[in-house]
Amino acid sequence: MKRMKGKDYWKKHLSRGAIYVFLIVVSFISVFPLYWAFISAFNNTAEILGGRMLPSTHFVENFKNLIETQQVGRAMINSFATSILQTLMTLLVCSIAGYGFEIYHDKYKDIVMTILMLAMMVPFVAILVPMFQMFSKMKLLNTWVGFFLPNISTPFMIMFFRNSARNFPKDTIEAARIDGLNELQIFVRMFVPMMRPTYAAAATMTFMNAWNAYLWPKVIMSTSDSVTMPMLVSNTNTGYVIDFGVVMMAVTLCSLPTVVVFFLLQKQFTNAVAGSVK
Amino acid sequence: MKKLVSLLLALIMVLSCSFALAEADGKLTIWTWDPTFNIAAMKTAAEMYNAEHPEVEIVIEEIQSTDIEQKISTAVTGGDMSVLPDIYLNQDNSFQRSLYNFPEAMLDLTGKFDFANFGAGKLAYSMLDGKNYGVPFDAGTVVGAYRTDYLAEAGYTIEDLTDITWTRFLEIGRDVKAKTGRPMLTGEAGAVDTVLIMLQSCGASMFNEDGSVNLVNNEPLKAVLDIYNTMVIEGIFVEVNSWDEFIGTLTNESCVGTIQGCWILGTILSQPNQAGKWAMTNIPALEGVENATHYSNNGGSSWAIVPGTDEELAIDFMQLYTNVEFYNTILPTTSAIATYAPAKEGSNYAAGNEFFNGEPIFATIVEYTAQVPSNITGTYYYDARDALATAKTNIINGGDITSELQTAEDTVNFTMGF
Repeated sequence: MKRMKGKDYWKKHLSRGAIYVFLIVVSFISVFPLYWAFISAFNNTAEILGGRMLPSTHFVENFKNLIETQQVGRAMINSFATSILQTLMTLLVCSIAGYGFEIYHDKYKDIVMTILMLAMMVPFVAILVPMFQMFSKMKLLNTWVGFFLPNISTPFMIMFFRNSARNFPKDTIEAARIDGLNELQIFVRMFVPMMRPTYAAAATMTFMNAWNAYLWPKVIMSTSDSVTMPMLVSNTNTGYVIDFGVVMMAVTLCSLPTVVVFFLLQKQFTNAVAGSVK
Repeated sequence: MKKLVSLLLALIMVLSCSFALAEADGKLTIWTWDPTFNIAAMKTAAEMYNAEHPEVEIVIEEIQSTDIEQKISTAVTGGDMSVLPDIYLNQDNSFQRSLYNFPEAMLDLTGKFDFANFGAGKLAYSMLDGKNYGVPFDAGTVVGAYRTDYLAEAGYTIEDLTDITWTRFLEIGRDVKAKTGRPMLTGEAGAVDTVLIMLQSCGASMFNEDGSVNLVNNEPLKAVLDIYNTMVIEGIFVEVNSWDEFIGTLTNESCVGTIQGCWILGTILSQPNQAGKWAMTNIPALEGVENATHYSNNGGSSWAIVPGTDEELAIDFMQLYTNVEFYNTILPTTSAIATYAPAKEGSNYAAGNEFFNGEPIFATIVEYTAQVPSNITGTYYYDARDALATAKTNIINGGDITSELQTAEDTVNFTMGF
């Protein structure tokens, strides 16, 4: 018996060990590119191409070269302004829509929802030209509204909020109605506070998407003053002579805000994705 | 709820009014990329033009080359030309494709601009049916740049590599490899830059005059692939996995030299510890091939003008590209080398370069440029390039040259719809 117990003990620990080894390898693969980009911001081209894995002394030089050739301040302001504004508007529009689809449910809304879901299947490049025509006719080219309007309401976010609204207790709504709250008050005073983790997760995802948006902003905006961080990164990585130290500095600056936002909202994000409502 | 929606709509309307850019006449907008090269050159041009025409506003927008093509294609297909710039830069290798995809966005410059002093090889990139659509800018003229210290170690000088054939280059390469352990050249494994440089040096292309693909019956191409294959197998040419690694072989001093477009000098000149160790010459010629020369081209770009209200102004502005002083001013700041032949008279061109032991390398490159044979690119240039890269890899792995070229030709024909 004792021997059996020992065998089980080893079996359990070995399998746990194997899981840890696997997780360590996977974490390493995920984190390594970030580490490398960050370290490379301290190195010059020769060191980066030579495969140096430790920071060197070129941080200030790379930063100076970057701000001399690119409008870093402008790009940061543009990226923050558009991402925050887009996140706020997306949360507002999609949560109302998701709430509406679920709480005032009927079969016609299901049809509309199906159409929305189908729209998710269409790749963006396929609708690029018609969208451009539409925005050109609406005189929205080279405007910030044109920049984020197509992304304010996405089928995915509506679905995300609708699924969360499913967990919202319907009895509470009935009780609130009897107590004399109107529909808007129910939404603002009850739904929004209860769905905080969902909002946090949606905010993280929207912010990241908005921050990393490239194709549409590039198509609709033509002026150098409307540069965003991903555009700036791509601008550094072009031409006959590429200064990889500068590229990595731009990559680091571009990645930091999304990393910070994710860490700030990490707990709520995991909760919402796991489907819990507090 | 209704209040909220109407508030949102009102907000959108207010924002859209305040942010919309007004269209102005007499203003030149230029789209180009690379702040240290094309943008810097255009800024100098703008300053020089504004000195005489202070009323003209010149705006330079930084947009990458592929994004420029994407934006113009979207605008032309979407039917809104108002968002287009007045002038934009095109890579020479994709100029024909742009001309095919959006001819509406390219002004016919024949008779409106003096092309007499530009090399035929350069002009051919932006010409269709005998008409000019581009103002040539920087040269992609190929140079052979070698480390004199490594050559000396094996008992050679730069003169031994000047005006030679590829057969002689192989002999020297073997000797240098044996004595120094270093390869003569390096290049990207998946790319065909070197093969195409060698091909163009004898005036041959991947396409015929009529636009049909020309790989399997292309005798110069077979000769080129044979030499290339020999170099790789014998370790005279080392293939690396990526472009970055290729640049690394130059910055890390692990090869003797490179045969590449003259813009590679930008990379070489950015390594101060290698000053005085380099020399430059022309490239080897193919033996037994008709029209073989020591000159070729890889890269470079040309400016296109969008037909429209400001086209006269744009043409007037672009006259700076036939101004020796302009090329002379931009050379030290950008190392953009002119394709305009008289530019070599400029003081900065004639001056010796300390990095290259006092040789006037820039004037030499302008002289080379005039002798580069022309090349047929066409709409499917990049498809042919990809197919040829596959063939090249297979040949190095033991494939038969003719059958691999047949497969490549079939692939391109399939893409072209034949």
